[in-house]
Order: sequence, then C-alpha cells, then structure tokens
Amino acid sequence: MAVETVRINNSGYRVKHGLLRRITPLTEHEKLFEIMLPEGESLDHDPGQFVQVSLFGVGEAPISICSSPTKREAFEICVRQSGRVTTAIHKLHEGDIVGIRGPFGIGFPVLPLEGNDVLLVAGGLGIAPLRSLINYIIDNRRDFGKVDILLGCRDPESMLFSSEIGHWQKRIDLNFCCSVDHAAPEWAGNVGVITSLIPGVNLHPLKTFVVVCGPPVMYRFVIEELLKKGIPERQIFLSLERHMKCGLGKCGHCQIDNIYCCQDGPVFSYQKLKNIKGAI
Amino acid sequence: MTRPKVAFFDFSCCEGCQLQVANIGETLLDILNLVELVEFREVMSEKWSGRYTVTFAEGSINNEESAQKLRMLRDRSDILVAYGSCAATGGVIGMQNRISRDNLISTVYGDQWGGEETRTVRAIHQVVKVDYTLYGCPINPAEFLSLLKAILCGISWRASDNAVCVECKFNENVCMYDRGATCLGPITRGGCNSWCVNNGNVCYGCRGMVDNPNRAGAEDVLLTHGLKPELIAAKMEMYTGALEAGNVK
Amino acid sequence: MHQALLSKRRLADFVSYLVSGHKLVAPVPLQDGHFKFDEVHSLDEISLKYIPTILPPKKYFMPQRSSLLRYDLSKIHEMEEIVELEQLVLFGVHTCDLAGIHCLNIVFSDHPKDPHYLARNNFITIIGLECNDYCDSSAGCAMLHTHLPKGGYDLFLTELSDSYYIHINTQKGEDMVDESSLFDDVTRAAEGELNLLRSRKRELFTSEVPIRYQDIPRLFEETFDSDVWSQLGEKCLSCGNCTAVCPTCFCFDIVDEPELDLSKGERLRVWDSCQNEAFATVAGGENFRRKRMDRQRHRFHRKFKYLMDRYGRLFCTGCGRCSRSCMAGINLKRTISALIEERG
Ligand SMILES: Cc1cc2nc3c(=O)[nH]c(=O)nc-3n(C[C@H](O)[C@H](O)[C@H](O)COP(=O)(O)OP(=O)(O)OC[C@H]3O[C@@H](n4cnc5c(N)ncnc54)[C@H](O)[C@@H]3O)c2cc1C
Ligand code: SF4
Ligand code: FES
Repeated sequence: MAVETVRINNSGYRVKHGLLRRITPLTEHEKLFEIMLPEGESLDHDPGQFVQVSLFGVGEAPISICSSPTKREAFEICVRQSGRVTTAIHKLHEGDIVGIRGPFGIGFPVLPLEGNDVLLVAGGLGIAPLRSLINYIIDNRRDFGKVDILLGCRDPESMLFSSEIGHWQKRIDLNFCCSVDHAAPEWAGNVGVITSLIPGVNLHPLKTFVVVCGPPVMYRFVIEELLKKGIPERQIFLSLERHMKCGLGKCGHCQIDNIYCCQDGPVFSYQKLKNIKGAI
Repeated sequence: MTRPKVAFFDFSCCEGCQLQVANIGETLLDILNLVELVEFREVMSEKWSGRYTVTFAEGSINNEESAQKLRMLRDRSDILVAYGSCAATGGVIGMQNRISRDNLISTVYGDQWGGEETRTVRAIHQVVKVDYTLYGCPINPAEFLSLLKAILCGISWRASDNAVCVECKFNENVCMYDRGATCLGPITRGGCNSWCVNNGNVCYGCRGMVDNPNRAGAEDVLLTHGLKPELIAAKMEMYTGALEAGNVK
Repeated sequence: MHQALLSKRRLADFVSYLVSGHKLVAPVPLQDGHFKFDEVHSLDEISLKYIPTILPPKKYFMPQRSSLLRYDLSKIHEMEEIVELEQLVLFGVHTCDLAGIHCLNIVFSDHPKDPHYLARNNFITIIGLECNDYCDSSAGCAMLHTHLPKGGYDLFLTELSDSYYIHINTQKGEDMVDESSLFDDVTRAAEGELNLLRSRKRELFTSEVPIRYQDIPRLFEETFDSDVWSQLGEKCLSCGNCTAVCPTCFCFDIVDEPELDLSKGERLRVWDSCQNEAFATVAGGENFRRKRMDRQRHRFHRKFKYLMDRYGRLFCTGCGRCSRSCMAGINLKRTISALIEERG
C-alpha cells in the first residue's frame, strides 16, 4: 500500500541527448549552437518548428530551430541570453550535452509556398526561425518563385548571421533588403523601421505568400502595410511567441482563446488570427 | 574545486534569520561540505580578510556606520544577498520611519538614551546593489537552500512573485477569513509555503507585497471585514515602512 | 449497468473492507464548516454530508507537485521518467467532482497523451456519493447538468431511507461488491424510492441563472468586451484561490529541483495559475495578459468557451468552489447573471 515509483515509457517529457558540436558567438548576446542527436539521428523538423532545450537542474526553454531540414546530420539553434535557462546555455562549451524535446508545433506552410512568390519579413531574433526557411528555399530554389527578404534590427551590431546575410545579398535569386533602427553615419544601408521597406517591394499580391517573424509589437504594423499592398489575409503567416512550458498542449501557458500556440502554432495564418482576440 | 567562501553579517535585526540556518539540522553538515563558512558570528569566532563569494546580509541600515560597513561588504563580495525581511524591505524596524526622532528616542530609551545614532531605516537595496533577496521574518530554510543551490550551480534565481494564498491552497488550509480573522495572504509575496497559516496564524505580510499588488482591492476586502482604514494601512506597512518612505538618503 | 443494495448498518463494514485492502480517502471535517479529502480508517471519520472539499479530488490525479523525471548528471545525464503513485480508493465523491475528474481525463488523454497522469488514474478506484440536497448558494450543478450521476465511477452510492442504492459501473466495482459479501439484491421498494428521490431532485435542483447549458458558450462569445470584466479586474486580488480549488483547472509549471549534491534531482510538475502575474510573460518582459481583467476573462472563457470549442463540453462543474474561496467575493453565478443582464 506504499507509494511506488513507476517508470513511464512514452513520457512526453523525456529528453534526447543533444551534443553541442559547435558554438559560434554571433553578437554580444546571441550564440549559434550546432547540435547532434545520438547516433546522428535526424531531428526531422519543419522550418518554423521549435524544440525545448533543457538543462537538468536549470529548466527548459523553447527555441526555434534555425537550420534547414535539408541539413540532416545536425541542427542549429540561435539563443539569446535573456534569463535563467538561456544564460546557462550560453555558459556551455563544445562537447557539452543539452536535453532536447521536440520538434514541436506547426511550422511555416512550406508546401503552399512552393510555386509561389515569397516575401519573408524578419524583425530582430525573428530571423532565427526564418533562416531555417530561407536555407530550405535556397536548397530547393527552383520550387519557388520570386523571393524577397526584409530584415529589420536595432543597429548593425545586433544583426544576426551577418556573414550568411552577406552571401544572401550576393545571390541573384534572392532580393535581400535590410533596415536598422539606429546606425552610425558610416552605415550605408537603410535606417528606419521595417515597415518602411514594405511599400518598396515589387510584388504580385495574389501570387505572393508572406511569412512574418519578429517581436510581438511589430506584427500589427507590418500586417497593415501588407494588407495595403493587397496581399490576401490567408497568404500572410505569422509566428507567435508565447510563454511555453510543456510544448504538449497541456500546461496552458501558451493559450490564446481556444488555441495552444505550442501545438496549433506557433505559425498561424493572419486569416485565422485576426478573429482571435489577444493574438496580435 | 575550491569551495565558495560564504559569510553572514547582521545589521539592525534580531538575528533570527541567521538562527534559521544555524538550526537547519543535519542538512547544515551537507551545506558545510559544499561551502566554506568564513564568517558567521552566531556559530564561530573566526574572521576573514579576503574576498567573499557569497555574503548574506541580515538586518536593515539605520546609521552611517552600518551603511559604510555594508558598502565595504559589497565591495568585497561577488554575490550579496539581502537576507530576511529587515534586509529585504526594512522589516518591522521600518515602522520607526513614521515616528519623529525625538518621539522615537524617548519611547525606546526613556531617559536612558546614551546618544546611540539612529537615522531613517533603509533596506539593503536602498544602500547598495543586491544580487538576490530572501524575504521573510524569518527566512524560510527551504527557500534559503533553493537559492544556495542555484548560486552553487551558477544559475540565476528569482524569489516567488505569487501570493501566499497560492501555497496556502496547496496546503489546503481553511482560509483565515472563513475562520473570522483577516490575513494579508492575498497580496503578500509567497515562497514561505504559507508557514504561518499552516500553524494557525494569519499572514502578517512579512515578505512585503507581490510586485504588482491590487492594493485598493485588498483594502476594500479588509474594510468589508470591519477593519478601520488606519488599521489597514498600519497592517500593510508593518514590514514595509522603509520602502513606503521611498529611497531615502 | 448493475445495481445492489447496501444496508445502512453495513456501511461501516464496507468501509472496513475497503480499508483492509487499500488506502482509503474520503471527505473529513476541518474547522468552520470546511472539508477535505484525506486518508481515513473507519466510517466515523468520514463526513457523509459535506459541501465540496477545499481542494477537489484532482489533488490525487494531478498532485500540487509531482515528479515527471529524475536525473543524475554524474552518469552522463541519465534520466528516468517516472510517476509516484499508490493504490487509492476515493470514497464519497459527489457528481460535480466526478464531472471534474472526467474533464481532466479528457485533457490528459487527448493527443499527445500524458502517461504520467494516465498511470495515476489507473491506480484510483472511485466510489461516488449522490447529493440528495443542494449544498449551498454557491453551487451551480443544476445549471451545469452535473447534479445527476453520469458515469465516471466504479461504484456510486445513493442514500435511501435505510439503505444505500449502489450503481455498479465497472468490473472493479462488481468485484468489490462480490468480495465484500455485504450487499443485497435491489428490491422493488428501493427502486421506487430512488425514482422518487430523483424526481424530487429535479424539482429541488433548479438553476437560478436564466440560461440553458447549450447557450452558455455563445453568451461568453458575445460579452467579450463587457464592463463586467473590468469590474472583476478591479476586485480581483490575483491570489489564485479560484484556480487552485477548481476541479478542472490543470495549468502547470515545470520546475527542476536539484538535491544538495547538485548532481541528482527531479523535474517536477507544479500547479500554476493563469491569475499569477508571470503566467503569460515572455522574455523581454511582454505580458500577454497584463491586466487582471484579461486574466479573469481568460479564466471564465476557459471554463465556458475555449475548452468547449476544443473538447465539446463545458469545463465548469458547478461545484461552487471558486465562489466560496474568492477573496474578493467574485461569484461565478452572479457573474454569469450579470453578463446575461448586460447582453439583454
Ligand atoms: C516558439 C518560441 C520560439 C522561440 N525561439 C527562440 C529562439 O530561436 N532563440 C531565442 O533566443 N529565444 C527564443 N524564444 C524565447 C525563449 O524561449 C526565451 O527567451 C526563454 O524561454 C527564456 O528563458 P530563460 O529561462 O532564459 O528566461 P527566464 O529566466 O524565464 O526569464 C526570461 C524573461 O521572461 C520573463 N519572465 C519569466 N518569468 C518571469 C517572472 N516570474 N517574473 C517576471 N518576469 C518573468 C522576464 O521578462 C524575463 O526577462 C522562443 C520562444 C518561443 C515561445
Ligand atoms: S480567487 Fe478571486 S481574488 Fe483570487 S485570483 Fe481568483 S478571482 Fe481573483
Ligand atoms: S506550452 Fe504548455 S500548453 Fe503550450
């Protein structure tokens, strides 16, 4: 009649061991981690999905996968140091192990994008999940129409993946445009909020799918501009950030209205979100 | 691995919070395997002249001599913890901020005053930067251990910002309001495992209020339970007098 | 379905029979007219007449703190996913609480399933007990249609004049009846008495709130911007009592707790509440339900709309616990009435 401890076989809380194969500092606050699962198992994710990264004794944090699924032997995440777990992750070294759960959620609508023009709008850390999609598009470039990428960040120093962005800028099959909120006078690029870039994009509204990823405050303004351009609501996709604990549609933290962002999202069409109070 | 050097110091207080650690029982021996206790007046007489990894500072600051000593400790410590209500919020001693100095001296010392200096009471963070805060009169040993473990693991730690009611319900206590008493649990910062209510007492608000209390709502509740506004204010400020007085110099 | 009768004289023996084989948990009295589910050893410890306990039986299905896994960092991140449980018999569960357990079962069996919860569920035997009278003015079981038994138990007891009418719902229940050898066959008189009681109950248990069950979700949809929410927001103290005592609130946090040696430890599931300030705060400090009004509305919508959309049933059982325990006197039935009035 005593309390027993029973082992659970198929717990959603089991973590896989992820080996930190390479750590690359990107800015003062962000690092890129390349992670390999045991026996080279592929994570098998979709762009826009996330994993729960965990350190026993510290906790878990939801982090977007920022590498393309076409890279199979390992995956990458870009982590900003912002609190307890992320700071502890930043202190790790190559060869250390983290726990991985996932991938979770519904990512970007890759299949509907195929055969269409694509406009990708990223603000700040939003470039991390979008990088997964961008590299996927690059690896399958001929399946997509015209591709425009707009990136906004605080200042040139906080720009993530700057060397990779250099490559994107050189490609003839991507139109890349970037704007910063503030910059020193020697900055040659645009200065201003990201919404100011949208009117200048040359696009076919009915043929274009838009994916937006950035801080919550950005969405309302970007959507307004996109609608002005005549993009249909069902062709605009947004990735929502919410507090997440379980990733399994149970703990309630990520709930907005009747949706759980961790399972039903984090990516949703604007058509769906516009009627959900409190979503954007 | 060298063990982190840990010290305890006290300012204006009853030293009860340090006693909580001294009385922690067997666990204390485990702790002593993990840290090197270099100064702790309650249990040892040695002094240490080097750097402290972690300094637990108990008590509030009410004269310049204490303030200077605290600044010195801050300079010599990697991590400074405000330890217990007096350190965290000024504690009950903060009540003196509402009384004139003459009145205070004559009430406390009568005609025996020997010139002891006492100024406006300040919490530790009103004088120097604090890394972590352990609330409570006295501190809760379990919470102390949780902070200590986080420090030893090199990870950050945050005091609870949930109301005392949260843990009180976990413990399935009969609500003090249903028992005909009034209690500050609904707006007081938890983390104490509703220690007082578990033992049949009401919550006096010793941990100060949560970060964003609905103070007006709580006052309404107390009014409907027959408390006079002055009494409500006195109850709510019993432990937070020093904070109410603002960031005084 | 099978039935049996248990003479009142034999109830004590039945309780002794249960105690001999299992840990038995039943409502026991606390101070000032409150009750809780707690371990008992004989009938005289049990309150057969009780208003809903402070915490609902969910504390046995999903305890305040429960271990999800244990880890050991000294052995290259070894871990073991676990559930700590014990065989339990829950005795005297009212129909509203049976409905609450049912709601939790639905959530945790929905994909992806939660085997930690489900394992615990398998270890619990449930013996229900019918309420012959309305418990108090906070109760809303008539509005929520939870005042009559609708399954969710192994055995269910209804008090008649000199016996208990027993509904047997599972093989486990049948085995208890057989093994204890304390039960008789149902008589025609007992059937008659049960029917009389049920028809009396239909008259006695009427909802004071002028709304039909099926219309409730629409009410909430149509009153999203009602002033009622800002009034609630002004009163609410964010103490979290309402969600802790709710039989269908299941939100949780996940917390790691290292042991003092720092290499071993546990990952725990701990009750959390949408009323707590940081519940919906993300990195960078944005809180998606910063205002108390938003959090109160979220709580009500979860009971009456959001989870209805998802699981096709209301997640309020009408037990009245939130109204009884609210520090600010926020009352569920009065809130619904105010919404109805405002909508007109
Ligand atoms: C789908 C998704 C994808 C994400 N992708 C990425 C990514 O690719 N890269 C990345 O770096 N981040 C990403 N994030 C954000 C990341 O999950 C958070 O930064 C992380 O969870 C923070 O955890 P932490 O333990 O480090 O911080 P915490 O210690 O939990 O604190 C972080 C912040 O949360 C707030 N907070 C939390 N708890 C409290 C509290 N009790 N009181 C007050 N404030 C509190 C504060 O604002 C605090 O600064 C993503 C989030 C989501 C939901
Ligand atoms: S019990 Fe009442 S005061 Fe407390 S959080 Fe719930 S609604 Fe607010
Ligand atoms: S993260 Fe737990 S429900 Fe979505």
